[in-house]
Amino acid sequence: MKSRTRGITAAVAAIAATALVAGCSAGGSGSGGGDGASATLTLGTNGEITSWDPGQAHVGHQLQPYQVAYDTLILREPDGSYSPMLAEEWSYNEDLTELTLELRDDVTFSDGAAFDGEAVKANLENLRDSNGRQSGQVAAMESVEVVDADTVTVVLAQPDPAFEFYLSQAAGLMGSPASLGTDAMISTPVGTGPYVMDTAQTVSGSQLVFTAREDYWNPDLQKFDSIVLKPFDELTARLNAALSGQIDAGLIDAPSVDQATGAGLTLIEDYRVDWSGLLLMDRDGVIVPELADVRVRQALNHAIDRDTVLQSIARGYGEVTNQVFGPDSGAYVDELDERYPFDPELARELLADAGYPDGFELPVTAIPGFESAMAVLTQQFEDIGVRVRPISAPGATMLQELADRQHATLIWNLFQGEPWVAINQMISTDALYNPFDSTSGELQTMIEAVRTGGDDSAELAQQVNDYVTENAWFVPFYRADQLYVYDAEKISVEPQVQQAVPSIYNYSPVE
Amino acid sequence: MIAFTLKRLGSGVLLLAVICTVAYALLFANGPSIARNIVGDQATAEQVAAKQTELGLDQPLPLRFLSWVGDAFAGDLGRSWFGPITVSDALVTRLPVTLTLIATAMIFVTLIATTLGTAAAVKRGWIDRLVQVGAIVGDAIPGFVVAVVLATIFAVQLGLFPAVSSIAPGAGADAWIASLTLPVIAIVLNYVTASAQQIRSAVIQQRERDFVRTLRSRGLGDGEILLRHVLRGAAPAGLTVLSLQFVGLLGGAVILERIFAIPGIGQLAITATVNGDIPIVMGVVVYTVALVVIVNLVVDLLNGWLNPKVRVS
Repeated sequence: MKSRTRGITAAVAAIAATALVAGCSAGGSGSGGGDGASATLTLGTNGEITSWDPGQAHVGHQLQPYQVAYDTLILREPDGSYSPMLAEEWSYNEDLTELTLELRDDVTFSDGAAFDGEAVKANLENLRDSNGRQSGQVAAMESVEVVDADTVTVVLAQPDPAFEFYLSQAAGLMGSPASLGTDAMISTPVGTGPYVMDTAQTVSGSQLVFTAREDYWNPDLQKFDSIVLKPFDELTARLNAALSGQIDAGLIDAPSVDQATGAGLTLIEDYRVDWSGLLLMDRDGVIVPELADVRVRQALNHAIDRDTVLQSIARGYGEVTNQVFGPDSGAYVDELDERYPFDPELARELLADAGYPDGFELPVTAIPGFESAMAVLTQQFEDIGVRVRPISAPGATMLQELADRQHATLIWNLFQGEPWVAINQMISTDALYNPFDSTSGELQTMIEAVRTGGDDSAELAQQVNDYVTENAWFVPFYRADQLYVYDAEKISVEPQVQQAVPSIYNYSPVE
Repeated sequence: MIAFTLKRLGSGVLLLAVICTVAYALLFANGPSIARNIVGDQATAEQVAAKQTELGLDQPLPLRFLSWVGDAFAGDLGRSWFGPITVSDALVTRLPVTLTLIATAMIFVTLIATTLGTAAAVKRGWIDRLVQVGAIVGDAIPGFVVAVVLATIFAVQLGLFPAVSSIAPGAGADAWIASLTLPVIAIVLNYVTASAQQIRSAVIQQRERDFVRTLRSRGLGDGEILLRHVLRGAAPAGLTVLSLQFVGLLGGAVILERIFAIPGIGQLAITATVNGDIPIVMGVVVYTVALVVIVNLVVDLLNGWLNPKVRVS
């Protein structure tokens, strides 16, 4: 008996000793930014990108990593304005079908190749041919003409008001032509950017390590000696990593904000990128005849108490809205946010006028994760006599089911981007989120005006905004806050307008 | 024994074939959806069709499956659809991490459970009650709750351990120990009393057997009887529950790997499933089934060696 007890004691002592040893080494395994000489930025990301080939680049979360190793032709400032980057100047011809870019002549890729007009052509064509998630950014591109080593003209089949924007996004990422489309480029980026991947330290899905490139053409943009990206799918892990200092910044969720700020982290205020709400896609009444009447759709808008919805779903982190275009887009109309005040009585009147005094049944689709939105919506619609039939669509097949016109409505979040991007996302007849191809002659004319509007495109998009809001194409609830926290003792961060996470250039070390 | 081993390996291969076929059919059934999810919601219908052709999703399912099998035999499990890595690389870099976690945890579980279970069986009294109550409590509390509590207290608040794994290439043993301590403790707390309970019952049963009384009457000490005879008899029951737990951990460690961001197979599997990264999921299926077959075979051989009475003739 005695020997066994001693055995247990010994085992416990061994575990405790191991724990102490581990504890001693735990402190040093953080982001290593403490010793002054080398500043490392460690970011927690929401997941990992699919491929380092710029042809596969996406938006938001899936654009930020590319900025570490790649430059874009045009730099988008935090406030949305454009500055030169790899392109020093650019201008359109009169009918907006040719964009000529003057390129820098002092830039090389990390493999030594020179950056020139041929490289631009190769990259734009690579994006078009890669069938990537943002290949549509060059849909309007007809051809690329290399005028000389430092001059390129992109010929568009028709004007594209978002083209400059695209050249600051996926379409503007420039990789070394020799590597484009190769298997090697899938795992290792080769760009002109401020940092180069340290392949020895990099483990896909766990940590991506980059070190500052020595002969980078713009040392002002290299604010750190190294950048480490750590993908976390699991929010708990990302939050804990932020709380314990293992990452310098990352996205968290509403319930965790108090814990994060209580632990000393700083939350970026009013960082709004997405809108949340109900898409009333079946405006022609194919599945739900009642939705064909604009008064019915307007009634649904009046039935929602947006402040309550914002509080119960997002804990108040956001701003209520009645329109789907964002305040930074240029298509935003202040007055439209008063268009549909919470008024259940008016809603019932509108329904009665439309011929549905006893309400009707409304199928509402959502994928798992939107349960609280579904609950709030059901209760508020019930109050005006609209009986919600919830349809839970599996995440894996939902997009295809939308395309196949199986769903009349959808609770969803969409990012608010440039007006032309937003129109192609959910308003044009080609948009996936307009599966029933709702449109009208009036709307088509307005969309054409935006397309050919040049510098006035954004303002002309206000008409489109007016139209879809007045015709209650959607029931927007609120614009959600991006809950991005960071360690203000180590870094400072500026939010990037219309982008889910800040651009890499927006982070600076605190001296 | 050779014949036994060969027969078991043969049935293992058959099991692998059946499971892979079923998994493939289930995962790859909906071609257009798969393509759509990869090209995203900004893509046109033409892009979706082009992606389907690129991935061979417009081919008949049996043809695609045979092609996958052919490639798999050559060692090529394909590329991830959502990550910049081949399936083989993803599995090969992550399997050692998961196996280290599970093996370490199971060693501690085995040692502690055997000690606790035997003590409970021999001494009875408070240890016995502790083990029995502990088994129920351990079963009732979900593993991830224990993990989150440990992480919150010991990592985030007290800072004794890293909250998320710092395992990386070139990281020394100290990074591994630091990163795996809390997950191992979480597993041990969850599993140890259930095993201890099983071992306790088996030991009690053995001690009531006639041969024990005979040995005692021959003058053998309690300790010797216990170590050389009783434990051997209790071994099959113990090994069974421990091997079941090991296999269960292969799936159960996924939550822990997510919470502690450990770069193991479990985390890979969940991410791949959520994304719809089918090549990775198929790779995980293949590796996991193979592992389970091997573990079961090893346990059976161990059982046979420890206790000749259960040897298959």
